[in-house]
Order: sequence, then structure tokens, then C-alpha cells
Amino acid sequence: MTDSPSDRPEAADGGTARETAPDAGSANASAAAEIAGRVAEQVGATSWSADYDTAKVYVDRDRWVEAVAAARDGGLPFFSWLSAIDWSRQVEVGESVAAPDDLEERYEVMCRLSSVTDASAVHLVTSLPKDDPTIATLVPTFGGAEWHEREAAEMFGITFEGHPHLVKLYLPDAFEGNPLRKSFALLAREVKPWPGTVDVEGMPGATGPSTENVEAAAMEGGEE
Amino acid sequence: MNFWLLVVVKVLVVAGAVMLPGALLVIFGELKISAHMQSRIGPYFAGGRFGWAQPLADGLKFMQKEDLVPAAADARVYRLAPYIVLISTVAIYVIIPFGPDLTARDLDLGVFFLLAVSSLSTLGVLMAGWSSGNKYSLMGGLRAAAQLIAYELPMVLAVVAVAVQAGTLSLGGIVQAQAHTELFGANIHLPYLITGQLLGFLIFTTASLAELARIPFDMPIAESELTMGYLTEYSGLRFTMFFLGEYAGMVAFTAIAATLYLGGWWLPGLSPEAGYMNVVGPIVLVTKVLLLSFLFIWFRWTWPRLREDQLQTLAWKWLIPLSLANIVGTALFKVIM
Amino acid sequence: MTTRLDPTVAMHLSDAAVSVELETPEMTLNIGPQHPSTHGVLRLVAKVDGERVDSVEPVIGYMHRGYEKLAEVRTYAQITALINRIDWVSGFCNEVPFVIAVERLMGIEAPERAQYIRLILAEMTRISSHLLFMSSYPLELGAPTPLMYALREREHVMDLIEGVTGGRFHPNFNRVGGVKPAAGGGSSTKKVVQDLPSGFFDGTRRAMDRVDLVCDELDTLVTGNELFRARTVGVGIIPPDKALAYGVSGPNLRASGVGFDLRKHEHILPYDDIEFEIPVGRNGDCFDRFVVRLQEIRQATRIVRQAVDRIPAGPLQAKVPRILKVPQGQCYVRAENPKGEMGYFVVSEGGRIPYRVKIRSASFSNLSILPWILAGQLIPDLVAIMGSLDFVLGDVDR
Repeated sequence: MTDSPSDRPEAADGGTARETAPDAGSANASAAAEIAGRVAEQVGATSWSADYDTAKVYVDRDRWVEAVAAARDGGLPFFSWLSAIDWSRQVEVGESVAAPDDLEERYEVMCRLSSVTDASAVHLVTSLPKDDPTIATLVPTFGGAEWHEREAAEMFGITFEGHPHLVKLYLPDAFEGNPLRKSFALLAREVKPWPGTVDVEGMPGATGPSTENVEAAAMEGGEE
Repeated sequence: MNFWLLVVVKVLVVAGAVMLPGALLVIFGELKISAHMQSRIGPYFAGGRFGWAQPLADGLKFMQKEDLVPAAADARVYRLAPYIVLISTVAIYVIIPFGPDLTARDLDLGVFFLLAVSSLSTLGVLMAGWSSGNKYSLMGGLRAAAQLIAYELPMVLAVVAVAVQAGTLSLGGIVQAQAHTELFGANIHLPYLITGQLLGFLIFTTASLAELARIPFDMPIAESELTMGYLTEYSGLRFTMFFLGEYAGMVAFTAIAATLYLGGWWLPGLSPEAGYMNVVGPIVLVTKVLLLSFLFIWFRWTWPRLREDQLQTLAWKWLIPLSLANIVGTALFKVIM
Repeated sequence: MTTRLDPTVAMHLSDAAVSVELETPEMTLNIGPQHPSTHGVLRLVAKVDGERVDSVEPVIGYMHRGYEKLAEVRTYAQITALINRIDWVSGFCNEVPFVIAVERLMGIEAPERAQYIRLILAEMTRISSHLLFMSSYPLELGAPTPLMYALREREHVMDLIEGVTGGRFHPNFNRVGGVKPAAGGGSSTKKVVQDLPSGFFDGTRRAMDRVDLVCDELDTLVTGNELFRARTVGVGIIPPDKALAYGVSGPNLRASGVGFDLRKHEHILPYDDIEFEIPVGRNGDCFDRFVVRLQEIRQATRIVRQAVDRIPAGPLQAKVPRILKVPQGQCYVRAENPKGEMGYFVVSEGGRIPYRVKIRSASFSNLSILPWILAGQLIPDLVAIMGSLDFVLGDVDR
């Protein structure tokens, strides 16, 4: 179900080893693939995928606004959300990607559009290089993109060119740094580096974390 | 008796025996009635099972609070405002007749005095709103000014119709007129509500709800928008004065409405010259006051508040023309009958 | 002679000046973050001219708790415990799309009984959230009585939810693969799988009857109230194209005439076996938004009654490894939260914790339309419109 040209490194080779849920899943899976294929044609995308009933269409950065507008005119008028993913080999806290050496470091900006007559929806995805995280704004196309882009800008440090009011949304004005970047450390982790247990307390009388909290206990002792 | 001693006695009686108990009774009624309308119980702790001491407890609580004057407030005006509101309300009690001889001072210009003095409270509210040094208070004060001025007119015009029908401005005279006017020549005497002033009564009631700034006309306070409007910065004893002024005003205005439209201390069937009317009269008037207060309380807990422009439309485009029509109708009626 | 005012004092003075020509410049009014009507810590910097609002800039972030960053350092079970706090009024509904996303990535499906329990609790949460709206919205307009009536019946629903999950607002009842199989905690009780509490079904039916009664009461007291209609009909109209452009979803979208409900289209819970209708409004004003939610409560009681009759026997959770490792993949699942569309985009790189979780919260998009819709409104209408959008700051700020 996936076209994989060489410039798409994330291993979304879905459909083969993964089994989606028996009844509803397969119907949705093909529906997602249909949508993804159709939208990919409409916007002139480089590739698409539809694993786990999630239709994703990959477009180039220069064609971002036209692609989104074309998808909207093609029957997906509902602007659901816009956000980003930071693909990095080196993560300050948390777990890194499955295959860090094969990873192409970038920011992936994704925007989800959906229909209001049926369940069709698509994620339009584009990649931004880490040294130049800029992209055109979607505000003229969708008014609702204003707040979503402000959030992505402050969380990831992405600049949306042409945005009317690109100031911080959630964070205080004087805040420095971009919290959702993988390079942003959490304060608690300055004291106890990853993957040590922080903020997990055992029941009174117990020596360590509660045995109920299996995951925490596993994280405390375990390697990846 | 020495004139000035008499004046002092009358003031004390009016304030102590009429206004305070009346206001406290209505406050307690509001607490309990609103509670039962909302499927709650209301106060049940202070003063035993019925919580009758709750208003007293609230009063004591307010008295022991810190006397705050905000730093940005204009202190002299801020301190003066509650007194103006309270005094203008209490002054109305002077002319209310409780019995044939039970009026603090039955002025010949009773109605005129009433309307003049009650509109002073507008000034007090505006002073409170402006001097608090707070944008919300300012907005509340401005809304209050617009609303109170707008609803003065229908009230005045409604009362004019009653004065035309009674032929006198004195409140005692109006009650006597209701008691003595014969209906179509027969020996039946009915209050003005039934003999032609129904529209006037409705207009007067609506206008007095607005003068008291009660829901549905509580834009000046508008708790969910302006956090208490012009009252935002007031606390402690000053707030008590506003609070008491509101309920004293409610008792006063319902007493006036009862006097003008419902016959005051007189009931159809009772002889107004009988000696016992000085004892029965106050009871009759108090009953009417409580009934009207119940109505006002009921309105407050049922309806949301009107928006400012809707409120103004109601006053200028509806109540004033209707009250003018009411005057014309009353005059025609009086001439023809 | 002029007196110099201390700058900290001068800040609080109104800056509306009256010149000879009576031109009044606009005043900047801060509505919030502490305010009776902002549904939480929302700050609106409003430029007002008398009663008319010229422009409004919402300042949010006072409730920002960093859920998306937290999700990158928590295991999937730990995240489930956290996310019911996003839209704290509808706690249970926040968990459902997330666990289903994880289930999809793992390729497991919850057993039917668990799905029905999810459906019942989700609809009860919808009733509870909408009843809270019924109580707070007339209060903002000045009518204090519906508050008591609606909350009185909401207590019955909350008691039922508490009886099943142990929590009124934060149930933490969903597990990957189903729902929590034991009502008690600790390893000693794990051998005996406890199901729903006894008396749950009868209690639910009784509670649904009471909720229907209070809907009738609210219909008479509020919807039929002339003053309420005067305050809400024609106020704050959101045209459907604007709603779509801003991502407004849920009852707000349906009040604008777009009859789209995820329960009919996304097949994540067994709504297909149940008959219910989608209330759709006509004008998109505040009144329509109110009535749509009132009708949704009625439809929700209908759904719950049918679900309670149909619920099959069976296990409460599928077989799931003790330490969850989710295979690599990206999945987005959305559900019909009482406030609108809520979805989770889970990016897993094959470990015990996700690589990225993007939370699509309904109130964030619903609130983003405020600057557009509030421009030029009167202040009382501002309160009416904000209340009718029914947002929760936890949902907005995450």
C-alpha cells in the first residue's frame, strides 16, 4: 500500500506485518488508502501512505499552500489541526527512534483536513530541514490555522512566513527555548537523568515504587 | 410635644420599627423563597431550624470586616456614595401611610416628594461607580445611570395617572380617594388596580424593578459580566449600606405600589373611618408589601437579565408611550364618568 | 496644578477621556483571567468603546501543563491516567481515542463488553458535561435557577460513573485492550475479576428517567423563557463556512447547520447497533447551540438505555502483555467528545513510551474563532457567546 521513494526514510512499511482489527479495520484501511490516493493526485504529492487507517500524503515544502488549498477544494473543508514532529537522532529525554542511524533529521509539519459528510480525512505532511525551519503560512487558506501555527512556532521554533501575528500562544513572553524539540531538557531531568525514575512514589511502607505500577518499575530497572 | 423631639421619634420609628425589620424580613424571605424555588433548603443553621437569624448574622459579619478604600479611588466620593443611596431610599418612608393617622408626615406633595427623592439614588450609584477607580465599576455606574434615568419617566407618568384619578398628590389622600370613590354610583369601593389602573400598575412595577436594579434589570450589577458592577470595590459596612438600601428600597417601592394601586392600608369592605383601622391598617399594608415582594423575588429567580439596549428599548419605545396613553385614558375616564 | 500619580496606581485608572467634541477613545478592558464568566483562566484583552467591543485578543496558556511533552516521558498506561485531565468536565471521553489509537497500533481489539461499557460511560459523560453547560450558561445570562435543577440530576449520573470507575471527574478506567478489569486494586483481588457494580443497570435506567425529566423542566424554564430567547436568538451567529475554516466541531458545528457527528462515521465504539438522532440547528446562534445540547442529552439517555439492554457478556480486557511495547507506526484516532472532535495522533517508535503524541482538543479550535466572532459585539453578548461555545480551559491549553 505504500509508495516508497528513497527520500522517505521513516519505516512505515505497513500492511505486511501489522494486522489491523478484523472487521471495521480492513474496511477503513482501504477507505484510508482510497482517500490518500485521491488526494495525492489532486495535490500532486510525492508519495502517500495509509497505515492504521491514517491517510498521509507527502508534499514538497514549496507546494505546501497550494496542496492544502487543493485538498480543501477537493472535498475536505474542515481544518482539524496543524502541528509538527521533531525527528532527531539525539533526544534529551525519552526514547529515541527505532533506527537512529537511518533517520533523516528534519521537522515534519503535518496538517489534517477532513470532510463533514463522511469520515474521509487526510494528513498533509511536509518536511523542513533543521537548519532552515521555515514554511509558508496557511492563515489565508484557513483562518483557524493562526493559533495552530503559533503553537507550532513556539513549541518547535518553526517560522511561518506571512503569519499576521506570530507571537507566543501558551508560553510566557519571556520564555526561551522551544519545549517540544527533542533537544529541550526537562528540569526534573537535570537532577535525575533519563531513564531514572522521577515523580513516582511507592506506597507507604514499601521500599520502592508500588508493584502496581509495573511500567515505572520496569523503567527504573530496565534498559531499552 | 416639642417639634424636634417628635421629629427624632418619627425618624427612629421609621428607621427602627419599619425599615430595618421590613428589610430584614424581605432579605430572609428572599433567601428562603429562592432556595425552595431552586430545590434547596436555604439557611437552616443560624437561629435554629428556619435560619431566621441568617440576615442578622450576615449583618454582623459585614460589620466586622475591614474598611477598604482602594488606592486608586477618590476617597471622599467613595465614602459618600453609600450614604446618598441609603438616605434617598429611607426618605421615602416618611410619606408612606400605614393607617389613617399613621404617616410620619403626610405631605400635600407626597407623590412629587417621592419621585424627587428616589431619583437621588442615581447620583449615589454613579458616584460609587466612578470613584472606585475600577473599569468594571465605571461600566456598572454608567449602565446604572442610563437605566435609572430611562425608567424614571415611565414611573413618573404612571404615578401621574393615579394622581389624576385621585385628584390629589398626597398619598394619604390617594388611599382615601380609593376608599371613597364609588363605582358607577353604587356603594362599592375598589382599589385603583381594578378601576382602571391595571396598565399603570404593570408599568409602575416594571419601572420600580428597574429602579431597584433587580433582575431582569440588573445590568448595573450584572454579576457574571462585571463582577458586581458599581459595588465591586465595596466591602464591609459600606456594602451593607448598599445592600440594605436595595432591600429597604424594595419594601418602600412595594409599599408605594400597594398604596397607589392596591388601596394601601385599606381593604374593600373595611370602613376607612373606623377606629380600629389604625391597628388593622399596618397589617393590611404589610401583607400587601410581602405579596408584592414575593412577586419581585419570583421574577428575579426565573428570568435572565435583559441586555442594556433591550432594556432601553423597553423603557423608551414601550413603557413611555403606554404610560402616556394611560394618562390620556385616565383623564378621559375621569371626565366622562 | 497637577498631581503626579504613582504609575502603579495610574495603571488602574480608566483611560477614557472626554474632550469637548465628546470623542471617546477606546478603553482596554481586561476580562479575566479571574472572572466569573471565562470558564477558567482565560484572559481577553478587549478594546471597548462604551459597551461595544472593538477587538478582542484572547491570551491563553494559564492552564498549560505540557501534556505533549509529558507524553514523551510516560508509558502508555501512565498517559492514560493523565489525559482524562485535559477536558476535565468530560473525563472519560478523553481517554477513549488514545487507548483505541494504541490498540490499533498493537493490532488488538477490545472485547465487545468492554466496548459497550466504554459507550455507556462515554454517553453518561456527555450527559454530565452538557448538564453542566445547562447550569452554567443561564447563570451567565443572569438566571440562577437552572443551575440547581441541572446539577441536581447530574449528581445521579456522577454517582453511577463513580460507582463503576471510582472517580467522578478522573475515571482512569480505560486500559489498552479494554477497560479496567478489577474494581479494586492490589494483586490479591486480581484473581477475581470484578465486573460492573451490582445494581448498575437499574440505577442507570432510573437515572436516565430523571435526566429526561430535568430536560423537560429546563425546556420549560429556559428554552421557553422569553427573556432567554431575547438574549440568545440571533446572537453570535457562526456561519458554517467559518466554522469549518476554524475547525469548530461538536455541538457548535451542528448548531450552524452542518449535521456531522463522529459517532455516526467513526466506528470505534458500537454506535452502529444503536438508534439515535443527531440534533442539527439552523441559524448557528447561541440559542441553537443551547438547544442542540439539550437535545443531545435526550439522545444520550436514549443511547444509554439501548446500550444497557444490549450489552453482551464477556471479558473486560483483551490479552495484553504486562509491559506494553507498541510496535512502530503512526495512528490518529478521533472521537466525539462532548465539546467536539477530540483526537490523538500517536507516533510510536516501538518502545514503551511514544515518540510523539499530538492531542487535538476540541476547545482549542472552538476558542480560536473568538477574535473573529467577538469583534463588534456588546459586552453582555460577549458573555453570552463565550458561554455558548462551551469550552474548558484545560482542553484549550492542554
